[in-house]
Amino acid sequence: MADHRADVVVVTPRRKELARVLAHRGGQGLGVAVLVSVLCFLVVRTLPGDAAYRIAAGRYGYDLVDQEAADAVRAELGLDRPAWRQLADWLLDLFQLDLGRSLVTSRPVVEEVGYYLLGTLQLAAVSLAIAIVIGAGAGVLAARRPGGPMDRLATAWVASVRAVPPFLLGLLLVVVLSAQLGLLPAVGHGGAASIVLPALTLGIGLSGLVARITRDAVVEVRASAYVQFAQTKGLPERWVLVRHVVRNAAVVLVPYLGVQAVILIEGVVVVESLFSWQGLGHAMVHAVFWRDVPVLQATALVLALLIVAVNTLVDLAVLWLDPRPRRLEVAA
Amino acid sequence: MTDQTPTDQAPADQAPDDQAPAAHDLVVHHAAVRHGTTLLAEVDDLRLVAGRALTIVGESGSGKSVLAHALMGTLPGELSATGSMSIGRTRFDLAETAGRRHLWGRQLALLPQEPALALDPTMRVRAQVAEGASSWRPRDPRSLRLADERLSRLGLAHAGAAYPHTLSGGMAQRVAHAAATIGGARILIVDEPSKGLDRHSLDQLADLLEAHLAGGGLLLTITHDLELARRLGGSVLVMREATVVESGPAEQVLTTPGHAYTQALVAAEPSRWTYPWMRDVAAPDPAGEPLITARGISKSYGSDPLFHDFSLEVRAGERWALTGPSGVGKTTLGNALLRLTPVDHGSVSHGAAAAGGRLQKLYQDPALSFPPRVPLEVALRDVVRRHGAGASRLRALLEEVGLPYEILQRRPSQVSGGELQRIAIVRAMLPRPALVFADEATSRLDLATQATTMDSLMSEVTEYGCALLLVTHNQDLARAVAHRQVRLGDDAAAAGGRTTGPDPVAAAVT
Amino acid sequence: MTTPLLEAGAGVGVGTRRRPLGRRAAVAGLLGLAALAILGPLLLPDPTAQDLGRYLEAPSLDEPLGRDDYGRSVLARLAHATRLSLVLAALCVATALVLGTVAGIASAWFGGWIDAVLRAVSEAFVAIPALLVVLLVSALASGGSLWALYLGLALAQWVEYFRVVRARSGLVLGSPAVEAAGLLRLGALHVVRRHLWPDLRPLLTTLASLGMVTSILAMSTLGFVKVGLQPPRAELGLMITESFPFYDVAPWLSIAPIAVLFLLTICFLALRDPEVRP
Repeated sequence: MADHRADVVVVTPRRKELARVLAHRGGQGLGVAVLVSVLCFLVVRTLPGDAAYRIAAGRYGYDLVDQEAADAVRAELGLDRPAWRQLADWLLDLFQLDLGRSLVTSRPVVEEVGYYLLGTLQLAAVSLAIAIVIGAGAGVLAARRPGGPMDRLATAWVASVRAVPPFLLGLLLVVVLSAQLGLLPAVGHGGAASIVLPALTLGIGLSGLVARITRDAVVEVRASAYVQFAQTKGLPERWVLVRHVVRNAAVVLVPYLGVQAVILIEGVVVVESLFSWQGLGHAMVHAVFWRDVPVLQATALVLALLIVAVNTLVDLAVLWLDPRPRRLEVAA
Repeated sequence: MTDQTPTDQAPADQAPDDQAPAAHDLVVHHAAVRHGTTLLAEVDDLRLVAGRALTIVGESGSGKSVLAHALMGTLPGELSATGSMSIGRTRFDLAETAGRRHLWGRQLALLPQEPALALDPTMRVRAQVAEGASSWRPRDPRSLRLADERLSRLGLAHAGAAYPHTLSGGMAQRVAHAAATIGGARILIVDEPSKGLDRHSLDQLADLLEAHLAGGGLLLTITHDLELARRLGGSVLVMREATVVESGPAEQVLTTPGHAYTQALVAAEPSRWTYPWMRDVAAPDPAGEPLITARGISKSYGSDPLFHDFSLEVRAGERWALTGPSGVGKTTLGNALLRLTPVDHGSVSHGAAAAGGRLQKLYQDPALSFPPRVPLEVALRDVVRRHGAGASRLRALLEEVGLPYEILQRRPSQVSGGELQRIAIVRAMLPRPALVFADEATSRLDLATQATTMDSLMSEVTEYGCALLLVTHNQDLARAVAHRQVRLGDDAAAAGGRTTGPDPVAAAVT
Repeated sequence: MTTPLLEAGAGVGVGTRRRPLGRRAAVAGLLGLAALAILGPLLLPDPTAQDLGRYLEAPSLDEPLGRDDYGRSVLARLAHATRLSLVLAALCVATALVLGTVAGIASAWFGGWIDAVLRAVSEAFVAIPALLVVLLVSALASGGSLWALYLGLALAQWVEYFRVVRARSGLVLGSPAVEAAGLLRLGALHVVRRHLWPDLRPLLTTLASLGMVTSILAMSTLGFVKVGLQPPRAELGLMITESFPFYDVAPWLSIAPIAVLFLLTICFLALRDPEVRP
């Protein structure tokens, strides 16, 4: 900007940027926690029918339950206290990391959620890896000749993947790979093979967007002035790719992985239910079904915080990849 | 073009003594570039000799950049080149680009347009320079040392660890020069180096180019900047609409041009203007109420002061220029005077004559100053209605700036920059303004377009007797247009003041 | 290297241009589906009428899509399911669009504390997946009420419009063109009509098309995980789930709802403004 004050080099305060990222995401995490808690709480307050009755039924079976058993459950869970006290207590407990006990299994929620979180993280990590390998690979191939046959194939792929909901994709994979070909177990949790179908379902679903962003980024970067200059400087093509194209394409791609986190978590809920994978999504759908409020709150909270965590990692990666100062508005 | 003499006869005394004349010259034979069947550039014969600059001048769209890329072998896929080029005894077919790749950086180097965009934003300057070295290997300290040495020779030793976005335009230009030439190429092609650079940075670049020539290098410069062409000397080729219209020694072509087009080009330089509005100027009334009164205003960006305790009064009919190198805060000062930007300290007040939309502004990029997605007619109709100007006045104004009414049916992106700026002038004139603020309004235009646009603006300004506030980095333009000047810059950046002197070029700094 | 002539080369292929042909085909497809949704329930028999004697009847001229495991007419159920998907999705998108756009423009226009509050709220919402909000809200009502589904989907989607509109309006309102309009004293109406709306329209078209896809898919997904709408309601997701056990003996049961779902989403995807790549 300042030609006349020639030759002053401004060093970007990286540490300041780092602090800003962490503060921003920390604040977001806090907001998410409060929002989810209040939403959950409202849900419970307006539950039609008697939650306690339903829980008691869950415990003892519908035939054996009576008003007395329901009242016992109500007292045990503190559902007879005033609404605002329940909310205040829950928020207070939350910040002490005391999430209560499951209304159904009576085990501490922290324990249950810890177990399910591990399952979800495994599934999410493998799916993300599949999405990046398939998506980035297809994107790079499509970018080699924009408008060429590979490019058109990739475009069709992206649209079809976007149009098919994960549960349908999962069903199709079950039909093809499990029922027809008998290659893989369809449901269950355990053994390396059982993760393949759910992870493939999620990974293929995500790969569409990854492929499109990668393709656009690579095409744009390869046409950029700095890549052309790197070539005319005399740098061999291989090194132009490694040193300039990959990094700059990643600068565009990585923030979108943050946006993907939301889609990933949505997919997790569905795919876990479909394949009975022991994860947070599966647990949450069960909790909704059984009105197990503490587990519902905890799983919703952890899922939402997972998104914030992924976005924090994305922000840090972008900070590392791209030295330019920026506004934190790209990712979710 | 058979009547044209070859660009240069390559006198032997200009080639370095240790080389046989012509043995290392770059000669181009019958080069042409086409897009489909459209001819974009054509040159019959062009010879580049060691130590003597060759400069191609012409307006944008005249095909001069395309020619440079054809020689380099970097034309985009849908443009095709024909003809041949020889370096020393080796002959290259221009249609075939792959054969020249091994020359890049080693024998043939290109200094690209807009160096700030040609540097990878994610890589430190030093590594980007080192990449160009012929000995470069990944993680090899030798090329990095060489890069450091090059950078410090350019006075940029401290910039090696910096990222490109922290560099000024002039610094980026020199870094790009180091990166392009570190591979030892003797032939240097420079593509439009003056884009976005102020005179000072351009002078620094010219020094580097002269040093390249003095070292026995070959230099081909593409530019629309006649000043730079004069400075580099050697020979000049004037291009217009894909063909060469005139060529010869720089001093002859650029001072006593033979071809009508070159004559018009040279006459379009602000220092040579002779327009009627430059002579008869009504003397402003010194007793009248000022349109704009600024008292002790200051503004800084972060810890960087742009102006401090600056005061100014602008009266009806006055013509002021705010000048200085780029990045010094001229535009910010102008915006502050129009109260478009808040100031940190001090006050700006507007007189009664300036109320109700009678302060107008022309922008550097006129395309950004119109709503991009509606036809111009629709946008202007709102202005006509709001200020009760009447459709006949709109037609009259358009005629005065030499534009057909039908042009308003297009959208801003479908009109050329010069035409759009004239439409912006029409728009600014519709409310019968008391003052027009022209913010680098012609800096993106070609010389000839700049002359017609400025003529349109100043004719209107003179006819309606409104005041002018001109922000420009071009000293010649400021001298040609304004009577009073505020010069922001190096020694004066933090000071401000007001001129009272009648001297047209008085630097108004106390 | 940005000579206008060279630029044309460099820009080619940065984003495939969807041909208007694709958009026209999409409009035609959607009109067909809308006709099914509007006329179907009027002309076809009651979708809940069971006839166990016609259990898994194969398609015939009389019953083009056959009958399901309760002997209900698949075509009639499909028409009702399509109508439900289209109407509910349109309501959700319209609500989210109006809410998000108004909030986004207000945020960019006024700035200050309005912007700060709206942004803080949106920051929390954006990290919560739509499906999660819908799950929570539909837990509100047992038996899968439409009201909960609508509220959940609209609540989950407004933030997308808000963020995009706010960012875009901020750019437009800060542009020289709007500054010039201010100097010309052209007023707020001019800024909205000539600057904001023309700029936001293609964005909103694209977002709304994507929103329709999201809503339709979310509804069917919820039906699938059994927390959304409940049987015996005719809904695409439920129909797919219910027909799954019979996919080898009565494939028409599965294919029909899958085809409609796919057609709906593909048509809405093709409806996006080709200039916009969100």
